Amino acid sequence: MVAAGRERVNARRWSERLAVPTAFVLTVAILALVFYYPVLSVLREAVVRAGSLTAAPLVDVLGDPFYTGVAHYLFTAPLSIPAGVLDWIRAGFPSVEFGLFGFTAFQAFLSTLASVVVGLPGAYLLARFEFRGRRTLRSLTILPFVLPSIMVAVGFLAMFGQNGLLNDVLGALGLGQVNLLFTLEIIVLAHAFYNAPLVTRLVTTAWEGVDARRVETARALGAGPFRAFRDIVVPQLLPALLTAALLTFVFTFLSFPIVLALGGLRLATVEVWLYARVQDLELAEAATLGTIETVLSLALTYLYLRYEARQTTASGGTTLPRRALAVGWKTLRDPVRIGLAVYGVGILVLFVGPLVSMVVESVTGPNGLTSAYYEFLLDQQATTAAGTTKPLPAIANSLAFGVGTLALAVPMGIVVSVMATRGGTGSRLAETLMSAPLAVSGVVVGLGLLQTLVFGTTVAGYRFTAGGALAIVVAHAVAAYPFVTRNVTPALAGIDSQLVDSARSLGASRFRTLLDVELPLVWTAVLAGGAFAFAISIGEFDTTVLLAEGVESYTMPVALERYIGNRSLGPSLGPATAMGTVLLLVTAASFLVIERLGGRWEP
Amino acid sequence: MDRRQFLRRSSAGVAGLAMLAGCTGAGEGDNGSGANGSSNGTETTGTGADSTATTGSASSGGTLRVATYSSFTGEDTAGNWLKSAFEEENSGTTVEFLTPENGVNQYVQRAKQGAPIDADLYVGLNTAELVRARKKLDKPLFQSIGGSLDGADGLKKPLRIDPKKRAVPYDTGYISLVYNENEVEEPKTFDSLLESRYEGDLITENAQQSDPGRAFLLWSIIAKGEENYLDYWEQLVGNGVKVLSDWEPAYQAYSDGEAPMVVSYSTDQVYYHGPDVDMAKHQLGFLNDQGYANPETMALFESANNPQLARTFMEFVLTEEAQSKIAVKNVQFPAVKDVTPSEEFDKYAKEPPETVTHSYDELAGSVESWVEEWSRLVASG
Repeated sequence: MVAAGRERVNARRWSERLAVPTAFVLTVAILALVFYYPVLSVLREAVVRAGSLTAAPLVDVLGDPFYTGVAHYLFTAPLSIPAGVLDWIRAGFPSVEFGLFGFTAFQAFLSTLASVVVGLPGAYLLARFEFRGRRTLRSLTILPFVLPSIMVAVGFLAMFGQNGLLNDVLGALGLGQVNLLFTLEIIVLAHAFYNAPLVTRLVTTAWEGVDARRVETARALGAGPFRAFRDIVVPQLLPALLTAALLTFVFTFLSFPIVLALGGLRLATVEVWLYARVQDLELAEAATLGTIETVLSLALTYLYLRYEARQTTASGGTTLPRRALAVGWKTLRDPVRIGLAVYGVGILVLFVGPLVSMVVESVTGPNGLTSAYYEFLLDQQATTAAGTTKPLPAIANSLAFGVGTLALAVPMGIVVSVMATRGGTGSRLAETLMSAPLAVSGVVVGLGLLQTLVFGTTVAGYRFTAGGALAIVVAHAVAAYPFVTRNVTPALAGIDSQLVDSARSLGASRFRTLLDVELPLVWTAVLAGGAFAFAISIGEFDTTVLLAEGVESYTMPVALERYIGNRSLGPSLGPATAMGTVLLLVTAASFLVIERLGGRWEP
Repeated sequence: MDRRQFLRRSSAGVAGLAMLAGCTGAGEGDNGSGANGSSNGTETTGTGADSTATTGSASSGGTLRVATYSSFTGEDTAGNWLKSAFEEENSGTTVEFLTPENGVNQYVQRAKQGAPIDADLYVGLNTAELVRARKKLDKPLFQSIGGSLDGADGLKKPLRIDPKKRAVPYDTGYISLVYNENEVEEPKTFDSLLESRYEGDLITENAQQSDPGRAFLLWSIIAKGEENYLDYWEQLVGNGVKVLSDWEPAYQAYSDGEAPMVVSYSTDQVYYHGPDVDMAKHQLGFLNDQGYANPETMALFESANNPQLARTFMEFVLTEEAQSKIAVKNVQFPAVKDVTPSEEFDKYAKEPPETVTHSYDELAGSVESWVEEWSRLVASG
């Protein structure tokens, strides 16, 4: 009896001891199968020609002034550079072109700046003030993240167009007209629309993790409010802020549909070219562009992770108390609150405007108000015609894949975070490589999946292919887990290592310690990462459409895309906007549920 | 049950789909990866949904698998009409549609990698795509067939774009301008678009990825000549032309009043007519009295499993009844002469005074560099 009991305990101890390493190996295996292998199968064409290594495609692209501007001399005529620089100085520093890569980086930089400027006050508001609807608002900040670009384009057109809502309002106020469409400004705004919520969410989470006792201690020791903020709060917000800025830069660097739809080809980015090359099946040049993009994004990620590792922040403890936002008449005299009110107006214009415009488009036909587009959705649902894309299965699939992704991406992300916080020289590099799903162009990932999993390979006479629901969930989880990691790693690193050490010395396994000590301390971060994972899954289009192809596993964005091409109501984006509105509502409801439930489960 | 159907039916969702690479006719050790027309794929794993888009059942003897674009099928489409009419006329046959997201590229890439091609027929191919499919592969992807098809001699002359008769046109659109005559006068020629009164007034689409955008670029090459079209576009860019990603955002921007002219189709008024519609916003501009034909064609895969049935289907598509149905449901013009789709269609769908287009031979070897040089010019502008 005793022996059997001990055996059982031993078995449990062994399985717990093996849990973290096993999960890590599984995570790496999944990544290898649905990410590294497909992506490398595409990118290898950049460096392999006819079976042998070559630098020719890279030199061709880097040495082409269209792609790199003046930097092409680095690759074509490096010796002429000193003389060239002298000439340039003598000519009085005329403006210099850096080609497609230069422009892409430039717009990404501006977009990042705009996203931070728009997102940061939001984090301040949500983390430091109490008001009715704060939790709901916090949940909804993630909404822009899931919207297909064509919907954002429709919303932006209706909001910021020549005859848009903004100009109507400005005109009514006698403030004249703004012409934003087809300019760099509108692209930067659209990128801020997508990415400022990222800044807000990541920074809010970090702010809520600041230990109020440390601030109090600093104040008690004589620090003024500014000094306490600078020395205690800022160091803890900075990693989150820089993570958000880094992600925004990488995303906007790889951006493409929204750029073309709102700015047009004159404001093209590298990704536009990559996509065109893939469509022409010029895969070597596409691979070359993809490789350069990836190297740049990963290098940035690596630099950032090295910086982050040097930050020592402590988290946990009591959250800073929130102040009431509205304080009667005094509200109108407080500069901070007035500033927040002005900020609120800006948010109305940038976020609520396009979203509401999109919803309005879904009930507006060429001749005024109509319910035709929603009737279209009902008709699609009711029909028995073959090949029809129906709204309800799309909703059900989206939610199922979202939950599946959540269930898979959260453990994957946590396991990678645990490995990353172990320290050691290799771990920065390893984490960089494991963040690659964020840094590789979506077009490249899609092409890779097509060539490998969808087409399949022949092994010993059998052809193996992958597709369907499970493949979609796994692919979504791979795209989503880095968000969990990026949220959880800084939080885990901030835990007092003595806590973990004492748990271990008392005999708890690594797994037990993680489950019982660390995760409860970083639960907000896990939850934040999980919400992102769900959002990534709901909004994902490229991979889904490849793996779902035809099987009845289309999602809401895929249905929306198919309705764009549907001409049964004439050439109208109406059916798509109706589906977009459904997507918006379903997603909003899901996030409210996720965050409520998640908040309740908090261990 | 034949072997192919057995394989297809038993192919699995996640892993499986053992398929006969040999029967695709494209596997045998041509360029690239592994699969070399391997033995028979008798073993399959799992059950569940097919890994490619299929509609309809595979129970009958003759099954035709048609690859096409997704809006060709579904409720009240040309595809679904063809399916039911064809199945009714040829009892015991089944038409299944496959709708790969990346269109014909899917099959070019499959052929290149030796992956199975699971369709008999491709419907919805344009000339530039035919050029690409030939250029990227060592062996032809499609069979020559058009010459021997019943009904092929009735095809309109300008639409016969493929001298090798692989691609058989079944309908066509004509690219034209749609303009708002409340705001601008009709632009009569390509040159007139350069006038300052049209500054910032034109929206077109990206020729890298949009059919009408590519057609408009090709049309400008016919109008201005291969040597001069880039100069022309440089001036057009200077005059503020807007090049958006695709037809939908472009037409949406036009409808929202962002600009008074858009590159679109000459069937515009079929959608927009009637007492409530301001017809001034739906005027057609046939520049130089021309319209550029962008025929949609169908072609038989070299590796088709059921070429005889595919041939019967293609002949059916060219019959008068099918031609008028396709035209109405697709809102495109019939490819066969002397077909009147419907009174309403006839009234509102306008054919250009002169039809221009490029044949396969004219595009082969040129179209990619034309588009690339053009896109570089616009993006650097």
